[in-house]
Amino acid sequence: MLFLVGCSSRSLYPLPNRRHNGNRQPLQTFRPYNIAHRGSNGEIPEETTAAYKRAIEEGTDFIETDILASKDGVLISFHDVCLDDTTDIAEHEEFINRKRTYEVQGSNVTGYFVVDFTLKELKSLRVKQRYPFRDQQYNGKFSIITFEEFISIALDADRIVGIYPEMKNPVFINQRVKWPGGKKFEDKFVEILKKYRYRGSYMSKEWLKQPAFIQSFAPTSLLYISNQTDLPKILLIDDVNMPTQDTNQSYWEITSDKYLDFIKEYIVGIGPWKDTLVTASDNYLRKPTDLVARAHARNLQVHPYTFRNENKFLHFNFSQDPYKEFDYWINKIGVDGLFTDFTGSLHQFQEWTSPLSTGEEDANKLLDKIVFMISKFKTK
Amino acid sequence: MASLSIVVPFIFLLLVNWCFARPLYPLPSRRNDRNRRPLQTFRPYNVAHRGSNGEIPEESAASYMKAIEEGADFIEADILATKDGVLICSHDVNLDDTTDIHDHKEFADRKRTYEVQAVNITGYFSVDFTLEELKSLRLKQRYPFRDQQYNGMYSIITFEEFISIALDAPRVVGIYPEIKNPVFINQRVKWSGGKKYEDKFVETLKKYGYRGSYMSKEWLKQPAFIQSFAPASLIYISKQTNIPKVFLIDDVNIPTQDTNQSYQEITSDKYLDFIKEYVVGIGPWKDNLVPVSGNYLETPSDLVARAHVRNLQVHPYTFRNENQFLHFNFSEDPYKEYDYWINKVGVDGLFTDFAGSLHQFQEWTNPLSSGEEDAHKLLDRIASMISKFKHA
Repeated sequence: MLFLVGCSSRSLYPLPNRRHNGNRQPLQTFRPYNIAHRGSNGEIPEETTAAYKRAIEEGTDFIETDILASKDGVLISFHDVCLDDTTDIAEHEEFINRKRTYEVQGSNVTGYFVVDFTLKELKSLRVKQRYPFRDQQYNGKFSIITFEEFISIALDADRIVGIYPEMKNPVFINQRVKWPGGKKFEDKFVEILKKYRYRGSYMSKEWLKQPAFIQSFAPTSLLYISNQTDLPKILLIDDVNMPTQDTNQSYWEITSDKYLDFIKEYIVGIGPWKDTLVTASDNYLRKPTDLVARAHARNLQVHPYTFRNENKFLHFNFSQDPYKEFDYWINKIGVDGLFTDFTGSLHQFQEWTSPLSTGEEDANKLLDKIVFMISKFKTK
Repeated sequence: MASLSIVVPFIFLLLVNWCFARPLYPLPSRRNDRNRRPLQTFRPYNVAHRGSNGEIPEESAASYMKAIEEGADFIEADILATKDGVLICSHDVNLDDTTDIHDHKEFADRKRTYEVQAVNITGYFSVDFTLEELKSLRLKQRYPFRDQQYNGMYSIITFEEFISIALDAPRVVGIYPEIKNPVFINQRVKWSGGKKYEDKFVETLKKYGYRGSYMSKEWLKQPAFIQSFAPASLIYISKQTNIPKVFLIDDVNIPTQDTNQSYQEITSDKYLDFIKEYVVGIGPWKDNLVPVSGNYLETPSDLVARAHVRNLQVHPYTFRNENQFLHFNFSEDPYKEYDYWINKVGVDGLFTDFAGSLHQFQEWTNPLSSGEEDAHKLLDRIASMISKFKHA
């Protein structure tokens, strides 16, 4: 017994590849955060290792994920409660009898639910690209990853990359999955973050070493963990007709001044659906609502979701040009972070309009520009 | 009394003659001492393909004005002809896809089937309508996934109205008109004095003072490229004008409409050596410059290299922002596509439906400087660089 315990509880020593001696390029904090929504899922199937590594390569500030749980209580990175749209579950005859109908947030959903599969079974599936108009060439190549594997990807990066995990569908998960010792989904979530030393309030020294935001649509989950960790939390806000899954509060209630005054003691910002921040009609954006102003007046950040390059997601104000959309939200509306499926495009936009300077490269560029300017006058 | 019946009509004719033969004086809005910003010539040309038709129905005045506002170097148009021989801006030989012709019951009996470049097309053809009739139609946006809000607001414009828009611009804006479907037009429309469509085309350009070889002083004042898929037309007009010409090249399976030559033949070294005496460049379909497979670009063909070595410019068509037109190499990002073609392939001009996006890309990566604005920016940057070292 002791021997077994000894083997499974070895201490977590730092891996050799992670002895950075503090020389990693720090997180940028001078311009809005570039949040790779489910990784670079515009190019590679969402929430896979490859999608996250691509996002890091493309310059993202934070990699984002949705945390659910398997039947045997392992926390995994996965967005939908069902496997149908993003995996090859339909091709696995061995699981054909696992189809169920459950009520999720007030509607009946039929499919293959992650909570009915062990981690081992989930790992036998292969992930596919959700949208038919995106690149299908990686379908069948990648597996679902765990929360811990997701964290690993961030810690392995050659510069500091933050994580942005979501406590996803906590009501549903806690109904379906039980942990020993009376622990809940939220407890296990924080446990894993602590295991990998994620801690510290927003902009503290510890936080800047391993930046993280915890997000959720469920306010009670955020309140519940606020005693356990001072990592900054973000309240996600769904569309105007969707009440919160745990407290059944309407959009209007949770965006009221009164509620913002209450919740601001627990969170550093809100994450609304972008079409609720600025009203739209006939696929044109019209006037902004006052939600951003009221949030900012309470020192709450605003991180809207989700920005996508495809023209079907772009309002006509933007001439089918995703960079125009970034420009509007960053420079006109003044948001503090953006969830995007195309972190590479957002990074490119930010580099062109508000670049990080590296010093030496800049000096050379400046000299070039001065020479170019002077040369124009020579030939007059 | 017989003499009076001759004199009166004679005087009437004289008056009529004077009224219609007044000289073309410069409009007050177009005085020669206007200090218009010149055409940029240091980076690839931004050619607004049919105007800013990504946003506004193609080849309308509004579309061209938007393109100029967005920074295009050239506004591009396809020139066809009406039944009464007026040159107009319109891309398709038929009116069905870009106008409200189907709402006009008075024209219901004009539907025809004609052979155009060896294909039978059924529809309402602009060559069967007078200018007045065409002006009663209204334009609409061709693609359903683009903004439909301007449908029914704008008319077809003439070649002369198109030229007017360029000359009225607050900076020097070039024109890029196409001798479009000359074989078909010359079959269907006749002009007096034995003139052909190509003659009327050049006549119109000369009337407005367009002349001069590429990069000459005259050309820089009123830049223009004449484009066509029909090599015989380009060769024919080469005696009439030294305005630079661009030879358009269609897809690999489409032979030239006038000389019936294949893609392989007109892109061969031998042909390029021949045609380079008449044109300054070629305008190929971009998917022929770099072949595509599985919606990914593969290795570039050698056409750009062979053109450039003969000092021929390459202006591929057509760049569009929508992801259905973007190959997967570009992560659904039109700026990545511009970057590839401008910086990797090295083209000399781009036909784009989104002149605004191309202009933005070029301004971010290869900007025009205005001198003073730049000086301030430089001082700001030097200051911010130095300030970083203060806290180190």
